[in-house]
Amino acid sequence: MKMEKRTKFQIYFDVLTLLSREMKSGDLHVPTRVAHEANLPYDRFQRCLDHLCELGMLSNDPGKLVVTGKGLEYVREYEKINDFLRHMGLVL
Amino acid sequence: MDLGSLCIVISSHLYHVSLLASFPIWGMQVLIASEFVSFVLALILVFFFLKAYRLVRSLFLVGLPVGFLFLAFSYVFLGISLICESDPSMSQSFLWLRLTTQSYGYVFIGFTYYFSTKNEEATRSFLVAVSLASFLSILLPFGILLMMPPFMKVPSVYVVDDFFRMMNLILLGYVVYHLVKHLKTSGEPISGLVWAPSAFSVLWVGQYSLLLWGIDGSQTALAFAHVARIVALLLLLRIYYASGRRV
Repeated sequence: MKMEKRTKFQIYFDVLTLLSREMKSGDLHVPTRVAHEANLPYDRFQRCLDHLCELGMLSNDPGKLVVTGKGLEYVREYEKINDFLRHMGLVL
Repeated sequence: MDLGSLCIVISSHLYHVSLLASFPIWGMQVLIASEFVSFVLALILVFFFLKAYRLVRSLFLVGLPVGFLFLAFSYVFLGISLICESDPSMSQSFLWLRLTTQSYGYVFIGFTYYFSTKNEEATRSFLVAVSLASFLSILLPFGILLMMPPFMKVPSVYVVDDFFRMMNLILLGYVVYHLVKHLKTSGEPISGLVWAPSAFSVLWVGQYSLLLWGIDGSQTALAFAHVARIVALLLLLRIYYASGRRV
């Protein structure tokens, strides 16, 4: 199946959603697994994590990735906008 | 232009001018107020669509804030043209601006839906072409006024406004068609998806009422067109406020 090219922001959303889901379920973040689920090569996934940390959406404590309040807010806003656009008949 | 065509052009202009002149003062005030309300509602939509673009950054989404911004300006231009109705040349210039901004607004909205299923490169080329065309055509009415020798006159806006309205009807018709098709293929509950086609259908009905007003001069059609436009904008705002609650 042909996969649509995602924008940088869609990738951030996917990564943050996966990490926050793992946080909720109490699972330990295994970066390779999250990268695989986000459908990203590992080096690109690492760059994405670095950028999310710079933006303050992730905090990278030694050995533990935590989605910050700002990151969770971004996920909520993105979901709302996605829902809005879907109901406007615009499929992303 | 032969004499017959000239007579049609002049009679069309005089007919439309007399339509507005026969409107009571309180009616004009209500029309101006409705333009202001539409402007505010359209600006709120611009803000939400801009927010959506900034968060998602898909290029085709640029068309929505730009389209609604054009529509917002078109409401302001119509309001100003009604306010300065006593100065026909000024009023005409603003009506020209109103016609072009409104149609470009619908072009951007219509093509947003068209390009929502196309690739990024095609969308980019389209945006550059339409932005350039809209910029030039909006500057044109004032440019012509400034550069034209005083003995010449700009053609009456009333002669061409029906063509613009028909173009708007086609563009809105396409958006409604796209949304109804999306409604059928999405497989989601219809209750949530029905608002957008409803809003654009009401906008379509509003444009159609304006077309009727241009033909038979019915003040009911004019009033209905204004009410329909405000209802349509409110329906679009409703979609934003209802979204997220369903997530």
